[in-house]
Amino acid sequence: MAESSRMWASASFVGVLIIIGLPLWWKTTEVYRVTLPYDKISSFDTQSHAITSELTVLANDAQTAAEVAGLIENAFMDSDVLKLKITKRLLSEQLHRTLESVADEQEAVEEVGAVFDLKQHNKLYIVQRGPLFQDVWVGGERVVFFRDAKAAETIAKVLKQWVYEPSVLEGARSDTADSTRRVRFPPGPGYHVVLSVVHPRPQDLKVEFQAGDAMEDYIGSFVDELEVLHNFTLKSQWLYLLNFDFQAKEVKDGSEWGRHWAVREEKLQQLLTRLEGRAATHVSERPALNLALYVVPCDRAPLQIYQHEKKVSAPVQAFISPKWGGVVFGNPTAADCRQESPAWKPPVKLIMGTFIAQLRELLGITDKSNIEGAYLEPLRSVIPRRWEVDSLLRIRSLEQITSAERTLQSLAQLLGEISNIVINDEVGASINAAVEAIYQAGDLAIKGDLVESYRKSQTAFLAAETAFMDPSLLALLYFPDDQKYAIYIPLFLPIMFPVVLSLKNLLMWLRGKPVHKEKID
Amino acid sequence: MKLHYVCADDFKEEIFIKPLPPTHLYVYFQFITISEESSFEHSHLAPRSLGEVLSRFQVDELHLTLTEGQWKHNKWGYPILDAAPGAELYAWFSPNVVDVDTQWRKLSATLSGLFCASLNFIDSFNTVVPQMAICPTGAIKTNQNITSRLRYATLPREIVCTENLTPWKKLLPCESSHGFSSLLNSRMMHNTNYHSIGVHVRKMCKVDNCSDINIEIKQTVALVYDYKIIDSIDWSFRKLFGQGLPGACPLSSSSKIYVDISSNETYSFKLSPSPNNVLLFKRGGSDTMLAVYDIKSYNHMMNIGVKYDTQDKLLVTIAPPLHFTRYVLGYGKEFGGIVTEITNNYWAPIDIVLLENAPWWLPIQLSSLRINGKAKSKLVKSQYYSPGRSRQKPYHLELLLQLPPKSTTTITIDFEFVFLKWQEYPPDANHGFYIGSALISANLPTARNYTSLPITGSTIDSIINASKQWYPAVFRTNGAMVSLPTPDFSMPYNVICLACTVVALAFGPLHNICTKELVLKPVGSPISLRQKLINLFKQKKD
Repeated sequence: MAESSRMWASASFVGVLIIIGLPLWWKTTEVYRVTLPYDKISSFDTQSHAITSELTVLANDAQTAAEVAGLIENAFMDSDVLKLKITKRLLSEQLHRTLESVADEQEAVEEVGAVFDLKQHNKLYIVQRGPLFQDVWVGGERVVFFRDAKAAETIAKVLKQWVYEPSVLEGARSDTADSTRRVRFPPGPGYHVVLSVVHPRPQDLKVEFQAGDAMEDYIGSFVDELEVLHNFTLKSQWLYLLNFDFQAKEVKDGSEWGRHWAVREEKLQQLLTRLEGRAATHVSERPALNLALYVVPCDRAPLQIYQHEKKVSAPVQAFISPKWGGVVFGNPTAADCRQESPAWKPPVKLIMGTFIAQLRELLGITDKSNIEGAYLEPLRSVIPRRWEVDSLLRIRSLEQITSAERTLQSLAQLLGEISNIVINDEVGASINAAVEAIYQAGDLAIKGDLVESYRKSQTAFLAAETAFMDPSLLALLYFPDDQKYAIYIPLFLPIMFPVVLSLKNLLMWLRGKPVHKEKID
Repeated sequence: MKLHYVCADDFKEEIFIKPLPPTHLYVYFQFITISEESSFEHSHLAPRSLGEVLSRFQVDELHLTLTEGQWKHNKWGYPILDAAPGAELYAWFSPNVVDVDTQWRKLSATLSGLFCASLNFIDSFNTVVPQMAICPTGAIKTNQNITSRLRYATLPREIVCTENLTPWKKLLPCESSHGFSSLLNSRMMHNTNYHSIGVHVRKMCKVDNCSDINIEIKQTVALVYDYKIIDSIDWSFRKLFGQGLPGACPLSSSSKIYVDISSNETYSFKLSPSPNNVLLFKRGGSDTMLAVYDIKSYNHMMNIGVKYDTQDKLLVTIAPPLHFTRYVLGYGKEFGGIVTEITNNYWAPIDIVLLENAPWWLPIQLSSLRINGKAKSKLVKSQYYSPGRSRQKPYHLELLLQLPPKSTTTITIDFEFVFLKWQEYPPDANHGFYIGSALISANLPTARNYTSLPITGSTIDSIINASKQWYPAVFRTNGAMVSLPTPDFSMPYNVICLACTVVALAFGPLHNICTKELVLKPVGSPISLRQKLINLFKQKKD
């Protein structure tokens, strides 16, 4: 009797502590985590995404069309990030005749626009037009003119270096940022564009400048064209009495002033720190693109930036700070400063033009280098070229998809490494939404529906960022482990030892072996 | 030198200095920015950071003060703008705001970032909606329900220091490099008996019929110096601020310093340098003499100072027409009471609104309200009571009282102490718990000791000859402190450790008894067979 009841007691201790207690302890101290699609997240391949774009070749005869289309196809054969869907067509007799007869390229574009819909995103028309001075002509619309089949090589170059820029697209999805990604702002649903007019000596110089109007007129019409990408809010402010010592050196020259102040380019970055302190960029709910017009005081004018001991020759002295914004120096003329009451009227067009150029770069529109035989119509107004907007849409879609994927992958990795991170229902939903949107955006990109793909990728990007940045993830992160052990050890060590040791006896008894060896000496 | 600015924004800076005989000196700075646009997208002199916050949360009027110290109304008279000790924030939202409470919370959280103050602790449990005590000072359409858009909160525990002053200075167009703000040296400023910085934003009519609206952003600093701290009764800018005045802000359209020299007759002193102008005017039957300095952007330092003729004169100060004190009653950790004593020194009755605002952990019962010891009093003309809810809403009592002439009215209300959850105790809980100050809003019939600006005025010269029938004022009484029952916070950990040890000690023997058998073990060497036989024989023999 005694043997079996003792064993039953031992078994019930084991039952209560190990079979009920341990799982209960495990369950109650578990960190709450919603089940996540880990398999999907780990199967993301950022290098696999590609975007389809439509291209129509319109030529006078079938042979030219085939030749041009074939060459373009060959040129883009090796790029896996961009898939071109090329259609070959013959120009209608009437359009052919008008294109040959109109003198002006802009007019010719309008003629093409009358027949084809040039407003659609992600579509480019390559049209043959005999009376061209160059091999290839590119304007602001989604039309490229070429003279004849001999221009095919140049067309391929133009498409590669100006229009589609597969190298920038590669950079958008790669691990390491390429040179353009290092300059442009990270993707986002909207930006504030803040113009700060910095006027260090309001008592010595009067500045006649309507910052608000200039913003609305110039920057406003520029960003309106980018509506499909981001929301923009325009703001302006004046910052007075912000003194900054450029450590400029006076250099005599033959100008109206008889001198200029030389500033080394490296010194300029320090101005940003001073600006940041006053510009109040942190109060905005969205990231702010900073534009600053620094009015150079009369006794330091004109300011001249030196790059590697060489003057930077530009009508406006300016510099750009990647992912922050741009600064333009307003140099009053000698005549302005020598008036009885010095007053300066800034050359608004020139200054705002410089800001636009900086904004283009900060938003991701690249500079176009020269291609022999090709002519790029210079920008006549502030608005960006239509195919540049398409190019931006492609870059941003890819960037957002890959960024969302990377964010989710790092989150998954973190969850594997740090067991204390909580994933509540909201974060879980946002992760699932991001995964879903990534798939949709990828499919839409392959289909060539660029705008929808951009929107989906933005949803994915924002959902992934919200999930990653959610403060609830950190709720238990700092619960120290030693505190847990301080409680577990005094409780579990003395209790678990006898119970675990009794298991041996219990097992022996269950197998029917004698528990106590008779000690016979 | 000329002023050059482009937009119609206007910036003015002013200092008002008033000796508070016999021992104190009141210095009040105000920086007024009047902005044209009602939207802050393109700002000129107005701070964009504040504008961004106001337009994002659609705030019509905003008052934020951060104060250290207690204004002593009975000794010092009335300040231009009174402020509750700690942080005080109240705002009226635009009628377009649907969910005022959410906006309020977001606003306070954002302002907390902007001013480095713990305003993010403002939540529904310490916010009240005053019904009668506060009225908007700006141009707000009166045909709408204003009260429902108002939120008021104080944080009496907030400590105000340099980290609040620096962001406050950044809102000024001249920052701290030029003009009067360069006097605001934090080392000297915080060496005072009382200091308060504030931001007040309101809408102002541009023209008489109010078709156009300007926005006035007024930044204020109030300082009360103690002659004992500056070590002399003669004061000068160098003694008060550590430096002279380097001139006006080049952006300001007017930079003026006003020194109240009315007390010159009783305590004669000499101002140096001599003022540009001396104004003598009457306001509500009391004479005031102001010395005015019109400051230009000088390039040399200016040091305004005062030298007293005799230094050993004692004067009995006359208390202002209305003054008050507040204290906590009771002993032990169960019941207590708040007493507010309000004295009317005037020969006519004064109508006041008293707003008592008790946190949820200090439940006050309306049934225990006694006025001059009586439950029912004829003095109460109207009353509003909103009971608190645990962890959600504070207790809020408003009384419209008519104070009889030459009398002291005592308002007593009892409270119970509440046990808090252990996470609700603030750090250093044994320090005690602050009760915010009560608001007293009065229409004073006399302008004695009254320095506030008239409601339509924004600069100090608006007080000249501003005689009215009533002089509205909102005062804050002193706060109070109670000590709630506070547990020993290391207790739970000790209990856990102790309980674990006891369980561990008890478990071992229990487990052994249940699962092990006690077997007697023979002691000594085993008995051999021969011995057993001998033993047997021995037994037989016996």
